[in-house]
Amino acid sequence: MKTKMKKMMMLAVAAVLMLSLAACSGKSSKEPGNLDEAVTMYQELMEQENEIFAKNKKLWEKVFMEADKGMTLQEDGKNYGEFLLDTIESAKDKFTEDELKTLKNGAEEIKKIEEKLTMLEEKYPEVAEKAKENGSTSCKDGSASVPADSGNMDEFPSFEGKDLEGKKVNSKKLFSGNKVTVVNFWFTTCKPCVGELKDLEALNKKLMKKGGEVVGVNAYTLDGDKKAIADAKKLLEKKGVSYKNIWFKSDSAAGKLTSGLYSFPTTYVIDSKGKVVGKPIVGSITSGEQKKALNDSIEQAMK
Amino acid sequence: MGKNKNNLSRTTGRMRGWIQAGATLFSNIHLSNFFKGGIYQGGGKALCVPGLNCYSCPAASGACPIGAFQAVVGSSKFGFSYYITGFLILVGVLLGRFVCGFLCPFGWLQDLLHKIPGRKISTKKLKSLTYVKYAVLIGTVILLPALVTNDVGMGDPYFCKYICPQGVLEGALPLAAVDAGIRSALGTLFTRKLVVLVTVAVLSVVFYRPFCKWVCPLGAFYGLMNKVSLLGVEVDRGKCVSCGRCAKVCKMDVDITRAPNHGECIRCGKCVTVCPADALAYGCGFGSDEKEMKKETEK
Repeated sequence: MKTKMKKMMMLAVAAVLMLSLAACSGKSSKEPGNLDEAVTMYQELMEQENEIFAKNKKLWEKVFMEADKGMTLQEDGKNYGEFLLDTIESAKDKFTEDELKTLKNGAEEIKKIEEKLTMLEEKYPEVAEKAKENGSTSCKDGSASVPADSGNMDEFPSFEGKDLEGKKVNSKKLFSGNKVTVVNFWFTTCKPCVGELKDLEALNKKLMKKGGEVVGVNAYTLDGDKKAIADAKKLLEKKGVSYKNIWFKSDSAAGKLTSGLYSFPTTYVIDSKGKVVGKPIVGSITSGEQKKALNDSIEQAMK
Repeated sequence: MGKNKNNLSRTTGRMRGWIQAGATLFSNIHLSNFFKGGIYQGGGKALCVPGLNCYSCPAASGACPIGAFQAVVGSSKFGFSYYITGFLILVGVLLGRFVCGFLCPFGWLQDLLHKIPGRKISTKKLKSLTYVKYAVLIGTVILLPALVTNDVGMGDPYFCKYICPQGVLEGALPLAAVDAGIRSALGTLFTRKLVVLVTVAVLSVVFYRPFCKWVCPLGAFYGLMNKVSLLGVEVDRGKCVSCGRCAKVCKMDVDITRAPNHGECIRCGKCVTVCPADALAYGCGFGSDEKEMKKETEK
């Protein structure tokens, strides 16, 4: 009896899903006339995508877990929906038939949505950023649909910050100005963090020649704590660090990412579009394997 | 010694397993973090738990006093860990090694492992090893982190980094199980400490509490505080029939009638429950030694 009920429920959910999507896709098949319209459309599409995830949250989380294990993420320019379909296919023995049906339907819809999104992005390159500025909870914003694990983050949270000299730093400008940006999270009294500062300095020199940059984020200096900044500056000077160190507000998305970290140092590699490449490197980058992982991500970002 | 006091002591001794379980749960209350990954970083972490319980355990409600002590003493910002030393002295003065017997999660683990049936070997002949823990305390917890520092005045938490098996059990293993980033950061240090953990676990089956007896720096500190702690085991010389059962049953190799405040006594209460003459009971108060002395002279 119970399983029957469950099946019925699943089918009902799937049906509602299809209907709502059909309704939405009908609306957004119109061609946008200008940038503003494109932005609204973009946001709508993102919302739809989020809704698909939200409706079967547990199921999708399972899919994300699978994706985490095996597949390379969509760095190769593959449609996100296709990526999901592949992931579902590769883990199909972990789901029941009904679950698979729901997931596949969802992924198909996402594929369509993503196609439209790509179209919009091609026509209006700034549409993605604009849509985000307007405050929508886009699924690419980090935490909305993807599990809290920072390892699955797609786009690095945008921020308005300052370097330790007080000069303004905008994440968009920072990332788009570099072929690759290596963001290193550390704090002043963390020994392994301080131990790798020299290696990061060397890496920064190397990257500068290729159009990249290392940026440090000292967790103590968030919100512009004056004493922490002075301490950090003194230490950086001692270690001969010349690359930029920045802080932002702790209640910003990037600030929340920082306070959510529990392993220091942690290093992110970010490409010119502001996307996180590979998995964040947890722990010092001086050891062999970690160094290799970092270099792989850097190379991938510069492609 | 009142009958009530003795009954209460016996009940406490018998309830020990449950109290240990409760204390372990209380020290690690954020259980959902085991599945979510990540550790609790809230205000509770500004306080220490009394026992050896890793800060990096996903569920940990507070900081480990030994870990916190090293972190502060080894930091370039502070000279000495006043706050944590004060905390340790306070707990030590109140409870002494009662913490080991009743509140420490790692002590409980060793108790449980020792319940695994098999050949048990007495540690009486290995008494000299009990002094090793004092060396561990002074060397790896106090001196090395404070003195062996890098160019900017930072030391390593030597005990946590190279010795502590609780760190592997509560910190490294559960975190690595759910976090791919941490998994990929595991190296030879982890392997070495895993060997320490397995060794301690295996030895715990054969010996009673090998880690507490020989290695634990927290046990060493509370052992010193046993001499002055308010909570202790009182011996009623008038009732004692010198049968020697208490010494025989003691797994920490203490003769309670000779040295009620011995540094090795973890106040487990085994002796209290076996005493046929009701001569032993937990006591909490000042000058228990003096009382005894008076009774001695009265005799």
